[in-house]
Amino acid sequence: MTLHSSRTDARTELLHGTLDMLILRTLQWGSQHGYAIAQTIRAQSSEVLQVEAGSLYPALQRLAKRGWVSAKWGQTEANQRAKFYTITPEGKRQLVREASRWTELVNAIGRVMTPSKE
Amino acid sequence: MSIRSWLKRRRLDEDDFQDEIRAHLAMAEHERMADGADRETAHYASLKEFGNVTLTTESARRVWTPWWVESVRGLLSDVRYAIRTLAKNPAFSLTVVGVLTLGIGLNAAVFTMLKGIALSPVAGVDGSARLAVIYGETSGGRELALSYPDYQYLRDHNQAFSGLFGSSLGKANLGRGRGARQIWAELVTGNYFQVLGVRAERGRTLLPTDELAPGAHPVVVLGHGLWERDFASDPDIVGKTIDINDRTLTVVGVADAAFHGTTVVYDVEAYLPVMMASELGFNFGSQPGTPGGVFADRRATMFQPQGYLKPGVTLATAAAQIDALWAELARERPLAEVAQRLKVVPFWQAPSGAPLVLLPTLGVVSAMGLLVLLIACANIAGLVLVRGLSRRGEIAVRLALGAARARVVRLLVVENLVIAVPGAILGVLLAQRGIRVLAEYAERLAAPERVFFNIEVDGLVIGFAVAIACLCAMVFGLVPAFQSSRMDLALAINEDASPRGAARGRMRAGLVVAQVAVSVLLLVGAGLVTRSLEAARQANPGFDSRQVAIAAVDVKQNRYDEPRGRVFYRDLVAAARADATTESATLAAFTPLGFLDTPTRRVAIEGYEPRRGEDLSFMSNTIGSDYFRTLRIPLIAGREFDDRDDEAGTPVVIVNHTLAQRFWDDAANAVGKRVQVGDAAWRTVIGVAADVKYSRIDEPPRPYLYLPFLQSYRSNMILHTRGSAPVNVLMDQARAHLATLDADLPILYVRQLADGIKGALILLNLAATMLFAFGVTGMALAAIGTYGLVSYTVRQSTREIGIRMALGASRLVVVRGFVVSGLRLGGVGIVLGTAAALGANTLLGSVLFGVTATDGPSFVRALAIVLGGVIVATVVPAWRAARTSPLMALRHH
Repeated sequence: MTLHSSRTDARTELLHGTLDMLILRTLQWGSQHGYAIAQTIRAQSSEVLQVEAGSLYPALQRLAKRGWVSAKWGQTEANQRAKFYTITPEGKRQLVREASRWTELVNAIGRVMTPSKE
Repeated sequence: MSIRSWLKRRRLDEDDFQDEIRAHLAMAEHERMADGADRETAHYASLKEFGNVTLTTESARRVWTPWWVESVRGLLSDVRYAIRTLAKNPAFSLTVVGVLTLGIGLNAAVFTMLKGIALSPVAGVDGSARLAVIYGETSGGRELALSYPDYQYLRDHNQAFSGLFGSSLGKANLGRGRGARQIWAELVTGNYFQVLGVRAERGRTLLPTDELAPGAHPVVVLGHGLWERDFASDPDIVGKTIDINDRTLTVVGVADAAFHGTTVVYDVEAYLPVMMASELGFNFGSQPGTPGGVFADRRATMFQPQGYLKPGVTLATAAAQIDALWAELARERPLAEVAQRLKVVPFWQAPSGAPLVLLPTLGVVSAMGLLVLLIACANIAGLVLVRGLSRRGEIAVRLALGAARARVVRLLVVENLVIAVPGAILGVLLAQRGIRVLAEYAERLAAPERVFFNIEVDGLVIGFAVAIACLCAMVFGLVPAFQSSRMDLALAINEDASPRGAARGRMRAGLVVAQVAVSVLLLVGAGLVTRSLEAARQANPGFDSRQVAIAAVDVKQNRYDEPRGRVFYRDLVAAARADATTESATLAAFTPLGFLDTPTRRVAIEGYEPRRGEDLSFMSNTIGSDYFRTLRIPLIAGREFDDRDDEAGTPVVIVNHTLAQRFWDDAANAVGKRVQVGDAAWRTVIGVAADVKYSRIDEPPRPYLYLPFLQSYRSNMILHTRGSAPVNVLMDQARAHLATLDADLPILYVRQLADGIKGALILLNLAATMLFAFGVTGMALAAIGTYGLVSYTVRQSTREIGIRMALGASRLVVVRGFVVSGLRLGGVGIVLGTAAALGANTLLGSVLFGVTATDGPSFVRALAIVLGGVIVATVVPAWRAARTSPLMALRHH
């Protein structure tokens, strides 16, 4: 009934990695605050991916710690206080790496799921 | 980036994070209200959507914390939990801490002594264990010190030592007149302090410039203790003068407080330049009239040079080099009677040094200490095992809830460490107290000689205590811990009654057997040493020390020349003899059984051609008339010295039985033969005295000579008075006579002869005291441990007892069952312990006297005590169990 610890680590890493990639991708269009990031991901994924605040904010901390995003308090269009996240150059490089890995992974899975007939 | 912001980056900014969450909630709320919801609905919907704020904050926080902080937190919570659990069970915790304190305390004390002797033998000198010592050995295997010219040659020519110094311990008289007293002083070479790296607390140390010319350096460095005691820590002491051996010396400095000289055990109080040797009356056996005095006489053996080897030089290379130098020197300046060859040994192996004398005894004591520790561990393992059983439920629940076994073991280990650490701390405190008490006891035994023990409890000792405490925690904690964690969950949870697994029963049995066996070993050891002490106390040393008072003076301290000194001693003996209570009175230079060997003298036997390199140096004493009658030493042939044997008479000598037998086969033959002592005239043997124990009670018979005081004057003599009056009266009378004859002459000491010789037993006495304490402690622990384990077994069988008694078994039968099984274990332990004790006799042999290591009474006594302990420890709990009513026992489950 318990999960082996190393397996747990592998799984969370995968999830973390994917969420991190989604956040970075979202930020590529410009600085956004946490609430907006979640909304964007939801909208972009046609309401499929629901990013919970409980995952989002730790993820933002993780990205900030690694230096991939920077944060700054500012005002929203509705004139509300919010903390805006901006992707850093290092974050952009990381996004490129993650994206290519992701493409690779998706292609690989695709090849397995729908093997070509040749 | 400033340090502050860097620090900030290392952890979550809590306020900022909460702000951000509030902003998030506000935006969500705002959006909902824009969609038409009322404020309250929007608020709660947003909160609900967000989820658990605390958990979110917690995971954000964890992003910033390094992995190890987590495990430290886990460990801390284990520690907290362990302390709580232990506090809930104070009887168990206190017992374990107490047992551990005893075990660690004893061992830390023994380690402190070992450290003071082997690891840092010279207090106040870093790395003193690395000191190497050069000494000579005659072909007969007798160790010799080196003369000053030989030392000088080696110092100036060797390439092995980075510095080579010499120091010779001697008694010196401090002050003049009534207030004078004797102190231990070292005559040292100029480089002594530099090589050792000892600094002066005040003024300066002695320097190589204090070793330029004989008699030209009337200076002294005081020991810190002397400065404190005798000079009230006078801040202006440097430049003042003090009188030592009737010479006025200028104090140039006070040595470092931690330094007590290089002669282990002796508390050295003053350091004198070696160049002042002759002026201060130290002639090292050099013959008067030798050109150049002690500094040119190669037969005047002064000290064993010592120093640090140069980096990369081993003892073997050093020895080879010193040997080669010695051969060279022997060619250059041949001298038949000096040492045949030189040896280089580590400091603790220096011949006749305290470490070499003490180490065998300390070895036995440390072995015994480890045995006590073993018992303590077995004892605690038993307690932990029993407690582990009662905690089965808790551990099973933990495992069932998914705790990793490693995690449970960690908790149990942490629990044991939590006990071990206070055990170590209390153990060190106990050791510190205990060793102080022991040292004070040794100081009392040695009084009036001043002794110093390097028994400071330092980081090394604390480290040792903590290390063995942790080791014990591992030993007594891990085995039961593994057993507990490897249990069958379902069984432990469902069935409260413990299934008496064979493995656990075996372990319990093993612990009982081990404790019993080790306590047999301990008690046999303690018994043997105690019986040795009794034997040594009762051994006949060859003379009768009862009813003899001794009083020592040195007339040189009041500037007597030889003629005046002779008159003084003649009058003193006459006055002592005139007392009504006096049976006889005499003079002697040394008292027998003085522990240390007195100087030897080279002897020539008329008509005896020594073999090449044969060692003909023997100890001797200078005595007055009536000496043998006063000490009740039988004369085997011839007569005592009397007043005719003066300067005008024929030179005479009395030899002991061993010497007479060695050279003339028989005592009767010896009388009339002639011997030469030193370079003086030939002396005629007029008597043969029975052998006595000259230095130590366990010494083998050795040749010995007595010279008449009237024919070989010395300024320092000891008055011996035998009388019918109580010894204190004899002592008072001696004091009175000395005061009447010369009120200004310092009295070095007045005491009973019986007290004076107890120093010879000091080592055996200390060993017996310690081993007795160890034996009693070990036995007590073993008894408690056995009691605990047996009563636990009995408690586990309460239901069985109930059923058996309900079925009609008598109480006696039930009790007998437990006692028999307890005794069977005890019996196995006793057999194993006895076998081990018989096997360990070679170790003990070195400290025994007058008993063999297979001494029957010691074994019988030890076995009786252990057997008694086992019986009590089994019968009592069994009897108590049998008293419970069958109904109660059955209802218990």
